[in-house]
Amino acid sequence: MRQAWRIARRELRGGLRGFWTFLICLALGVAAIAAVGSAARGIEAGLSRDAAALLGGDAEAEFTYRFATDVERGWLEEIAEEVSEIVDFRSMAVVTRGGEAERALTQVKAVDGGYPLYGEVVLAPQMPLAQALAGVGDLPGAVMEAALIDRLGLEVGDTLALGTQDFVLMARIEREPDNAGGGFSLGPRTIVATLALAGSGLLAEGTLFETQYRMRLPEGANLTALKAEAAERFESTGLRWRDSSNGAPGLGRFVDRMRSFLVLVGLAGLAVGGVGVSAAVRAYLASKTEVIATLKTLGAEGRVIFAAYLMQIGLLSLVGITAGLILGAGLPLIFAPLIEARLPLPAVFAIYPAPLLEAALYGALTALIFTLWPLARSEEIRAAALFRGMDGPSRTLPRPVYLCVIALLCAALIGAATLLSGVPELTLWAAAGILGALVLLVGAGWLVRRLSARMAKSRALRGRTALRLAFGAVGGPGGEAASVVLSLGLGLTVLAAVGQIDANLRGAIARDLPEVAPSYFVVDIQSDQLPGFMERVEGDAGVSRVDTAPMLRGIITSINGQPARDVAGPHWVLRGDRGVTYSAAPTEQTKITAGEWWPEGYSGPPQISFASEEAEEMGLSLGDEMTVNILGRDITGTITSFREVDFSTAGIGFILSMNPGALAGAPHSHIATIYAEEEAEGAIARDLAQSYPNITTIRVRDAVERVAEIVGGLAAAITYGAAATLLTGVVVLIGAAAAGERQRVFEAALLKTVGAVRGQILGYFALRSLLLGLAAGVVAVFAGALAGWAVTVFVMEGTYRFEPVSAVLVIGGGIGATILTGLVFALRPLAARPARALRARE
Amino acid sequence: MSETALDLKDVCLSLDGNAGRVEILRDLTLQVERGETVGLVGPSGSGKSSLLMVMGGLERATSGQVSALGRDLSAAGEDALARFRRTHMGVVFQSFHLIGTMTALENVATPLELAGHRDAFDRALQELEAVGLRDRADHYPKQMSGGEQQRVALARAAAPRPDILLADEPTGNLDGTTGAMIMDLLFDLRERHGSTLVLVTHAPELAARCDRVIRLVDGRIDAAGGGA
Repeated sequence: MRQAWRIARRELRGGLRGFWTFLICLALGVAAIAAVGSAARGIEAGLSRDAAALLGGDAEAEFTYRFATDVERGWLEEIAEEVSEIVDFRSMAVVTRGGEAERALTQVKAVDGGYPLYGEVVLAPQMPLAQALAGVGDLPGAVMEAALIDRLGLEVGDTLALGTQDFVLMARIEREPDNAGGGFSLGPRTIVATLALAGSGLLAEGTLFETQYRMRLPEGANLTALKAEAAERFESTGLRWRDSSNGAPGLGRFVDRMRSFLVLVGLAGLAVGGVGVSAAVRAYLASKTEVIATLKTLGAEGRVIFAAYLMQIGLLSLVGITAGLILGAGLPLIFAPLIEARLPLPAVFAIYPAPLLEAALYGALTALIFTLWPLARSEEIRAAALFRGMDGPSRTLPRPVYLCVIALLCAALIGAATLLSGVPELTLWAAAGILGALVLLVGAGWLVRRLSARMAKSRALRGRTALRLAFGAVGGPGGEAASVVLSLGLGLTVLAAVGQIDANLRGAIARDLPEVAPSYFVVDIQSDQLPGFMERVEGDAGVSRVDTAPMLRGIITSINGQPARDVAGPHWVLRGDRGVTYSAAPTEQTKITAGEWWPEGYSGPPQISFASEEAEEMGLSLGDEMTVNILGRDITGTITSFREVDFSTAGIGFILSMNPGALAGAPHSHIATIYAEEEAEGAIARDLAQSYPNITTIRVRDAVERVAEIVGGLAAAITYGAAATLLTGVVVLIGAAAAGERQRVFEAALLKTVGAVRGQILGYFALRSLLLGLAAGVVAVFAGALAGWAVTVFVMEGTYRFEPVSAVLVIGGGIGATILTGLVFALRPLAARPARALRARE
Repeated sequence: MSETALDLKDVCLSLDGNAGRVEILRDLTLQVERGETVGLVGPSGSGKSSLLMVMGGLERATSGQVSALGRDLSAAGEDALARFRRTHMGVVFQSFHLIGTMTALENVATPLELAGHRDAFDRALQELEAVGLRDRADHYPKQMSGGEQQRVALARAAAPRPDILLADEPTGNLDGTTGAMIMDLLFDLRERHGSTLVLVTHAPELAARCDRVIRLVDGRIDAAGGGA
């Protein structure tokens, strides 16, 4: 070992020359993962620090469809120092100007005097919230988000209506402290005082609203104990407890999921960097063939040489990883003000050791995996290389023991990523995807070489010197096809996959859905309003179909007498409350897959028809008993049928339907879907709003756009990650071009010697780059489309359609990157004097 | 057309090296007639190879005038020199300098293709046959021995039927027997095409096969050992 170390130390005197690609590739990969991890940890810390403000209190009790009962409220007031009541619901904000009414969907938050318990609502013009909500004269006040104010063309001081109640717009909401944790909403926010809604008709029994009771708890209150007590006391009333130990669980989950995605993209980047690392080590060892052969002549054993070069590469890896960690930890800190300004979430940017350690671990394992292969082959260089030319070892594969170690290291890397990512299944799929892409790209590189070699010899290319030379260079021995297709191809593959998935997702939302989706989704239709509503829409020639259904909301609390989550696990159906309906007979669209619908006029014990796919996922069988808590009352029924429910059409779809006798007595409203021609949509919305101010009409097209916007944002974040991977690919490309520059200088000199002018040589270099870029791009599009197909079909359960625009961009990007780097590194060869270049090779 | 193949007047060549500026050729004047064979000899570092490169337009003289076949190479641009070489000159190097990513046939066909010959590959094959390597046409340089590579290089240099053949120690990297065979081929090709040959060599017996031997010492023609 000491011998090896002495050799390594002496060899390292040469400095870092020739190792820039190695260092940049490793540093970039590590930096990307470290930066994503650090930023995510910063946001998690921010969420945790501001948990109370995000939640709006130290703890919150939430009810669907109703206010807390006296008993519930009494207990909440008993445990808290202060309780604030919030009512949250969707409604239409209406502005009337000159007899014409303008409407927009809004998410209304009705508050009491205690709101907000934590944080502050910032308004423009500046004023206390209480003053704003007090309004002017007889009219209560409202404050709104800028998007809604702009959409309705309002100015401060204008009048608007919610339901039948008029409000005066007092200010614009600049900051709402508890907004970030609220999750997805279709409309911008309006805040009013709950008392002002008394005459609006918006909070009638059976309408869709949620109430939240935020609590300021005494210092040192035991949140876990309180949560347990709430669960015990109000197990069956539908009270949902949240507290600041996990103030924004949805948001935390989202940030964690994003981190996982981006770390996986980062790992793909590290794999691309690995290709560069491997190429750099191979080139370095090739330049050391003479030294290694000399050392062997002098008596050095293979293992000493292996250890000496492993130490050198290890030290360099340490430098690369350290640089990556500094960059990855530093980037979020440097860009903290920028990120904080754009992020609707609190964040505490600092240096967090855990994500840095994770990034370092990935970096070290990747460096080892990709350097062991070329290093292992250094053992095989024989002393005779000194006398028989300086070619490296002829065998392609290293000894089996090294192959085993490489396989173990791969397993360790995948295992670590699986454990640390938090999304094990996705990580394993991603790892399989990256490995598959690597194998595909290696195969494609080999194929490109073979095809190019064949093309170079083709009679058709005789006389087209530049093209023949280009094919010859790509296909001939020592050509760079394999490394360029691999490195650039992998980066482009990630980008192509993201492009295909994003385009398919957007396509599914924006194009496919509206073909079958209704124009309007209408909620909060009271039972006495239903006949009038139906008369208006069914009498419209522009309306092709109207579906209505009674709508209640309930929480599935138990299955066969056991807590539901113990039986079915954390299935999404059990997360929060779900829409529940009743129906005497199945609708025309209903497809029963098992069991039988209850007979007409059935009035026995409650029966349930459940969505078949979800039932299978939850392990439900016909005959199972299920308890649903609706408006605080437990209703237990028997599952007597399963049916198909298709959520992809945005039509009415209920997971759970019961016989009328089970639910009809409970206060409820109705929902409806209206399928209408686009020209008829405006008049319907106007008439409905005028006749029934309390009901809310959601334009499906608007909702689709909102979803597309969110999907676009997610895709953009992942595209940035993919771009980092591509950047690593380009670094590898630049490294390969730089390493090949001497060879190009020599080739240019030779070609000049045999009569090639500079234009011809430049054309040859450009064509050579074009061929490699094209090959990398085409292979990437193929691999990306394959990944896109897999994700679209198996994860999103959609129909895959090849998206040509992103594919053309990826291929164009590949060609652009190779031509640009190829031409930059063609300048010196073109300018070099032939004699000197040739003499250097003598 | 001029009867002089190469005409050098007061040629100087200085190059910048690690140790500063080095004078390689000093006021060198010489003429080589068409069809003549000239051997350039001298100790290592005397400027033989540099002189050959200057003659081929591969190196630009610092001062003086270099003409080939009546054309002033000193004033010609890089591309004009390349065009001139493709039709009038063939160069053979000690290290063969074949393009590694091309087969033997492609290496030989390249100058013909660059010169726009439609039958480049047929002619290239003939040239390979002439050096006894027709059956190795599809082999890459790495798959051939040193002697075979040099024979491909000879075929490549001779393929455009150049007026001037420049050979820089073509046997320097080969064993005696192979070297002798290469020299026979070189002189044979020259004979066949009637080319002018300038041969740089360390071997007196090879130089002796030339019509004239010029000895260089320290960048100058050594009058005692042969002259212009």
